[in-house]
Amino acid sequence: MIGDTLELIVVAVDDIASSLRHVRLAAADGGPLPPAAAGANIQLRLQGAARTWRNAYSLISPPGRRDAYEIIVRRVPESRGGSAFVHEVLKPGDRLVASWPSNLFAPQRTARHHLMIAGGIGITPFLSYVADFAHSGASHALHVCCRESETGTFAPWLQACGELHHYWDADGHRLDIPALLARQPAGTHLYVCGPAALNDEVIQAAANAGWPASHVHCEHFGAALSGGTPFTAFLSRSGIEVEVGESESLLEAIERVGAAAPCLCRGGACGVCVTRVLEGEPEHRDHYLGAAEREGGELIMPCVSRARSTRLVLDL
Amino acid sequence: MMQSQIVSRPRYRDLAAEDTAGAHLLIVEGDTLAAGQMAALATAFAVVAERLQTWLVSAPATALAPGRVRRLHTVEEARTALEHIEDGFGIADRLYLQGTEPFMWSLATAAGRAGLSPTQIRMQHAGSLKRRVWCTHCHQTTENVTTNIATCAGCARALLVRDHFSRRLGAFMGVMVDAEVPGEVPQREEVFR
Repeated sequence: MIGDTLELIVVAVDDIASSLRHVRLAAADGGPLPPAAAGANIQLRLQGAARTWRNAYSLISPPGRRDAYEIIVRRVPESRGGSAFVHEVLKPGDRLVASWPSNLFAPQRTARHHLMIAGGIGITPFLSYVADFAHSGASHALHVCCRESETGTFAPWLQACGELHHYWDADGHRLDIPALLARQPAGTHLYVCGPAALNDEVIQAAANAGWPASHVHCEHFGAALSGGTPFTAFLSRSGIEVEVGESESLLEAIERVGAAAPCLCRGGACGVCVTRVLEGEPEHRDHYLGAAEREGGELIMPCVSRARSTRLVLDL
Repeated sequence: MMQSQIVSRPRYRDLAAEDTAGAHLLIVEGDTLAAGQMAALATAFAVVAERLQTWLVSAPATALAPGRVRRLHTVEEARTALEHIEDGFGIADRLYLQGTEPFMWSLATAAGRAGLSPTQIRMQHAGSLKRRVWCTHCHQTTENVTTNIATCAGCARALLVRDHFSRRLGAFMGVMVDAEVPGEVPQREEVFR
């Protein structure tokens, strides 16, 4: 399986909750898959009738497993269609093109204790973390914020989890983030993955409490936020003008017209798709550019960011 | 001598308390204290005075310090105390060190073993520029080096003292100066006074 992409085949799909689908994928040629470490994700190319989605999903299979990749996809009502495709169309036997695994959210190997906070489907990277820590014996605790009805949904993947707590939105059951962060020993690394509001709250609470930023790690699922008001993008090098629709990202529009655009995470985190802006005002939604670069307005991450102006001219 | 093009050479800056919710521990090498220095530290740490503990190591008995004060005789005593700190360190704690480089790095490496991250440690240089030197040949360390060429305490080689610094060992690198032409040892100069 050497090449830029992987050919996968859907082995099984299971609905593990009303809006959660577990998908098991194997190599289409029956061979072993590239190994992936805890926290890795793959990007799936989902070919719909009218359009193509490229969505990144965390691998929940135990780290290093080469016989299959497993993912869990939540169906998002306001989704741009990728999750709906997985829930409605995808079936065993279907073939998919996927990226090689990449990892922008690996556990810190020097940590003395791993403190994980998950929000909703943001638990997925931690399912592979827990398998990793159970294997290595690393000290860890997982705090899960979810719906009350879903506290048991991920139990099959959490058998080996050490300290495990669930929280939901009811009196006496909410996670007190500042209290949790106030009493952690030196050498702890904090990981958060969930909706933007939870991520922001945890990062802010950690900063307020005096956690060194080097010990705070976050994975955003940003692709769902890449839609918005339509605008026009002009690719100056290739001379192509493309209309970016409200439910597609700038990157997807660029790919649709066939222009070459390198990318990796598709969530505004990795920085691979950074592109120079020649004209127009970007609306930054990434987590990669620093404050000065944002204000400079000369760079954009097309995977999640859009335009404030009606037109952007890109150096592509 | 505090600046170098060698990127591993640590840089130090004036201590300033970071107003985090954790405990704050300031350790000062007493015999490097210059007039007015303690007053400057008291000002710099006023915001965390409630949560501050100051350890004075080998300081004159008359020396004053901000926060709860503990007096220790030697850096070894301070190192042992750090490694056995009750309940250990918390993630929001900060350690501030002031003194010579061998003093600060003896304590920083001990704090690291106790779990403290380098991002929780701040250092301000004071006093002598003397160096701890680690011999790349016999792996022994030589203390209190003030010359550009030093005799290794382990293997007696003449070592050229480099600016290359190991944070793990808390020491500068020393390499045999006459490895190419045995016996050809340049003049020693006292450059790390």
